[in-house]
Amino acid sequence: MAQRNLEKQLNILDYALSSLWRRRLKSLSLLLVFAAVIFLLASFQMVTQALTDKARQVLVYTPEITLQKMSVGRQEAIPLAYREQLAGIFGIRRVVPRIWGYYFDEVRLANYTVMGMELGEMPEGARLDTTLSGGAMPGTDERGRVVIGQSIKKALALEGRTTFSLFRPDLSLTSFEVSGEFSPDTDIMTNDLIVMGLAEARDLFAIPAGLVTDLCVYVANPTEIETIAKKISATLPSVRVLTRPQIQKTYQVVFGWRSGFGSICLLTALAAFVILAWDKASGLSPEERREIAILKVLGWETSDILAVRFWESVLVSGLACLAGMTAAYIHVVYFAAALFRPVLMGWSVLRPELHLAPRIEVGNILLILAFTVLPYLAATVIPAWRSATVPADSALGG
Amino acid sequence: MFLNPWSLALSLCSLVALVLGAVAGRTAVRVLRFWEPGSDSNRQIRLENEIWLSSTLVAYGLGFQIITLILFVLAADQFCQVIVGAMCATGALLANPYGMPALLVKLVGIFFYGFWILIHQLDIRSEHYPLVRIKYLALLLLLPLLVLDASLQTLYIAGIKPDIITSCCAVVFGESAGDATGNLITGLSQQGLLAAFLVSLAGLVLAGFSLLKRWRPWLAGLYAVGWLWFFGLSLVVITSVISSYVYAMPYHKCPFCMLKPEYYYFGFALYGALIPAAFFGASAALAGLVRGKAGLRGVVDRYQQLAIKISLVLLLIFSGLSCYHYLKYLISGGEG
Repeated sequence: MAQRNLEKQLNILDYALSSLWRRRLKSLSLLLVFAAVIFLLASFQMVTQALTDKARQVLVYTPEITLQKMSVGRQEAIPLAYREQLAGIFGIRRVVPRIWGYYFDEVRLANYTVMGMELGEMPEGARLDTTLSGGAMPGTDERGRVVIGQSIKKALALEGRTTFSLFRPDLSLTSFEVSGEFSPDTDIMTNDLIVMGLAEARDLFAIPAGLVTDLCVYVANPTEIETIAKKISATLPSVRVLTRPQIQKTYQVVFGWRSGFGSICLLTALAAFVILAWDKASGLSPEERREIAILKVLGWETSDILAVRFWESVLVSGLACLAGMTAAYIHVVYFAAALFRPVLMGWSVLRPELHLAPRIEVGNILLILAFTVLPYLAATVIPAWRSATVPADSALGG
Repeated sequence: MFLNPWSLALSLCSLVALVLGAVAGRTAVRVLRFWEPGSDSNRQIRLENEIWLSSTLVAYGLGFQIITLILFVLAADQFCQVIVGAMCATGALLANPYGMPALLVKLVGIFFYGFWILIHQLDIRSEHYPLVRIKYLALLLLLPLLVLDASLQTLYIAGIKPDIITSCCAVVFGESAGDATGNLITGLSQQGLLAAFLVSLAGLVLAGFSLLKRWRPWLAGLYAVGWLWFFGLSLVVITSVISSYVYAMPYHKCPFCMLKPEYYYFGFALYGALIPAAFFGASAALAGLVRGKAGLRGVVDRYQQLAIKISLVLLLIFSGLSCYHYLKYLISGGEG
């Protein structure tokens, strides 16, 4: 019995295919529009996911807690003396001062990220040595030596030279020697980065002695991060305390929110498509009415015709899904989601090149299916029933 | 938290299911009021056509509900990334009081929609449509379930605030008894559970085979009740015993994490065998209830044999899957 049933469904599938082929222009136009809608939704979903992954990857290197001094609602330099006040808090592995900012190169019209740290003071495991593709990190007593990212190397057009100069705020020049460069694998964060000693950064930006931009707090046990953060903000009330999990969650919420917002906008496209599909499915031409009438006279039941329509919908939406999702994957991976990047990132023009690699997970595919295929199936079921219940005599007589 | 693709997709699916349900409900009311099997009036012919529509709609509804059930668990797994303290779907579902009830209603819903489709399939096998009234009464009773499902889900999504602190599965299902946060399944010894699981399994196999040899209504009833018991028991056993073998971590006890790609989607296979098995096991006795109606005798008998066979095969697959990691642990010492 089961085999007969399967054979029957296969025959119906065969008929549905030939019926789609007979109306190929109509089917193809529907398929293309549907694929376009799926492409939009799927690209959005994939970009969100890839960006969230990327953010998580980047945040692995950030310190567990970052302290910034706030004054008049803005960030300002934080005194090094604050470190002493943190000494009494247990669980802090190390407090490393950092000067972190942007340097605008007026000659090359580019923004560089400059990070000055006491490199020897950083705890094991948080050091940047592993990310180097060549050279070495500058030692503690070496002056004027820096490590640069890939696009800085390109922007400065070093080509074998190892020295370059940057302007201080009073337009006097200070020169640096390149001691190493970051590997392209960590481009997302090191692409536009210049890492130097704290003293050089202080000299470059003319920051007074005893001040830095922020303090990085390394915590030995990650489960203590929240407690230590609370203690710090009780000790230093004027300081903004940023924890790594907090930053991570904020990213997640922001990306989720943006992608939800984008999806709402795309829902209008989906609604338009569903109306189109409904309309296409309900407008029965006289030939189609005659076809159904003949099938009924030949002994087909209403359920058989419904099955044909169901298979047609499944075929159309399956093909559209395949085409739309493939196009979305290509769009995200090879074109770095050029259409949607401004919406999802949207804060800086000078971004490094992005290599997004969305994971293909069953969950995401299911999500896209639920967004697109289910409404389509629902929109075509009532017209399909209408067409299946055409009375045979009236259609043939007319 | 509605502005999230997962919440939007879930809401959209529920909305679509509600619309389909409403259309089917309209037919149900008309059938209950105007159905006259003997008549050949225009209205009767129209109604006979509409029966096809409503059954197709319920079938679609069932499909949609299965998809939303999976989507719901996966969405909870995504939500946990923004909820403080939650590390997997368990934490996200416990983030507010509507999460677990929503999941339960969805699960129960799948069984009921399935039963309805079964009654419909039996009904259309007979020329007299003997079950029409029962069927449409049942359909009207299903609608509140659909509404409840959608409302619980909406309440759950609305109640998710990214700041709430919840528990992760190691606390909820773990062995830290005496904890103030409460533990869902404490006080059940693993050996006792496993023994009950194996005894129930053997009982079901025995009952199934003896039913295949000779049909006895009381045994079929027992078989159905046994399946419902086994279904609940299996969920507990999966959570408290089997899951930690799957994760290869003694303190990781969670029924949801195994649906993730890290565990090769093992959960889909496990639940994909268990849920249909329980459905077919319980439905055989249910089909027996309508055996007395005109023209259904042969159809019901055939279905019952088939259902018992299917449930036994799925039971075999389920028990094989649930033992797999345990045996692997015994033989090769678990994960390298």
